[in-house]
Amino acid sequence: MSDTAPLIKIEGLHKSYGGVVQVLQGLDIEMTAGDRVVIIGPSGGGKSTLLRVLMGLEQIDRGSITFGGNPYISAKSGKTAIDAKVRRSIGMVFQHYTLFPHLDVIGNLILAPTKVRGEKKADARERAMALLTRFGLAQKANAYPAQLSGGQKQRVAIARALMLDPKLMLFDEVTSALDPELVAEVEQVILQLAHQQMPMVIVTHDMWFARNIASRVIFCAGGVVVEDGPPEQVLGSPKEERTREFIERVFHIKH
Amino acid sequence: MSYTFDFASVFRNMAPLWDGLLVTIQLTIAANVIGLTLGFVLALLVMSRWRAIRLPVTLFIEFFRCTPAIIQIVWFFYCVPMLFNVFLGSVTMGIMALGLNLAAFNAEAYRASIQAVPREQLDAGVALGLTPFQRVLYIILPTAVRNSVPVLLTNGIGTFQQSALVAIVAVQDLMYQGKTLATLTYRPIETFTIVALVYFAVSFPVSQIVGYLERRREVLAS
Ligand SMILES: Nc1ncnc2c1ncn2[C@@H]1O[C@H](COP(=O)(O)OP(=O)(O)O)[C@@H](O)[C@H]1O
Ligand SMILES: [Mg+2]
Repeated sequence: MSDTAPLIKIEGLHKSYGGVVQVLQGLDIEMTAGDRVVIIGPSGGGKSTLLRVLMGLEQIDRGSITFGGNPYISAKSGKTAIDAKVRRSIGMVFQHYTLFPHLDVIGNLILAPTKVRGEKKADARERAMALLTRFGLAQKANAYPAQLSGGQKQRVAIARALMLDPKLMLFDEVTSALDPELVAEVEQVILQLAHQQMPMVIVTHDMWFARNIASRVIFCAGGVVVEDGPPEQVLGSPKEERTREFIERVFHIKH
Repeated sequence: MSYTFDFASVFRNMAPLWDGLLVTIQLTIAANVIGLTLGFVLALLVMSRWRAIRLPVTLFIEFFRCTPAIIQIVWFFYCVPMLFNVFLGSVTMGIMALGLNLAAFNAEAYRASIQAVPREQLDAGVALGLTPFQRVLYIILPTAVRNSVPVLLTNGIGTFQQSALVAIVAVQDLMYQGKTLATLTYRPIETFTIVALVYFAVSFPVSQIVGYLERRREVLAS
């Protein structure tokens, strides 16, 4: 796939919860396989909802999403159609820890590859160990989630998603629940992935991280895209008043 | 106090008590096999999205939870043979009554721990491409069973104690043998003290295990 053909194309996406709370109100976003999109915006603005829709976890009201040129999600007469095969090529890491508590680290990593793809256990274990070694977690292979720090849990969650060779990774405020001293180790792992050209959509409130990882920054508020551009522009000299206000307030930066 | 305890005459005639304990343990184990398996099925049915399934199962569970066990046992003993023209032997009937009662209570324990599985974990299951059936099998079931173990054990040992009720329908369990022995020796106080101690000796270690499991779970959950 070329770097400029759209990997994800979102058109006219509307999403409400129970028809009452209108969260996304006609969102249009296009991203290429070379993009690392950082989404910023006020709390309650629908960032998590957007990522959950992209992951195929939510019903939508209107609009459509294509992936690599193929239909992925669409809404027809009130019903949301989600292509499960496309969904399997997307990975997501959540804000809250989602490791399965009854499985050790290796068990968490090989569950989906062995059950979903029918990969041999020995092969999956070998790939899992390689990933854990890369993330500095080899000695934790047989630890249970309850025995890990928050930073370690999130790194394992990232490794678990990578076991399925995703073509797109979604990160929803994956460091927000962490103690400050644990944030860097998780961000380093994501930066590592970025260097390997993994397409990703990241929701974060970390200015340093956003600047360093983004090829594009999107400011979302009120369920629509307010501003969309390179990080220097959106974070450094925003065109929109609302973006400027938000950045000053959240990142304490005066322009 | 003028009463003089005389345990000796009871100790001399203890043999039937051991036979009774054996029957009581058989009742308990058989009732627990029913309670653990049927209870899980009931829990799944009671969470069904179809009312036609949910309603009768809820009624069944609530009937057993909201009536005294002793009435359930008597009812089983006298009404089931009359209504359905079957009589399966007193031990079997006792097992059925105790087993169904336990299943109803265990169903509640299973249901609560199934619903306590965090939604985020199921989302992660979807994100990892697991099918709905695989999510039940690999995420919900192991967590739910593990979380309900203390309650299941408590319920199970409760059935051990409640099984004493079947003595009133002439099942020759520990309680029944105790009553016989009390009449035989004219020493009801001593006899029932010993019977109580036997029940205690079995129940107490299990309740200690439950306490240990709950403390361990609190540590693991933190
Ligand atoms: N499951 C849900 N049911 C109902 N309302 C929800 C649900 N999830 C989120 N919302 C609402 O949708 C809005 C957007 O939430 P969210 O996508 O989490 O925003 P953000 O991640 O930007 O903080 C909020 O007003 C929130 O209360
Ligand atoms: Mg959010």
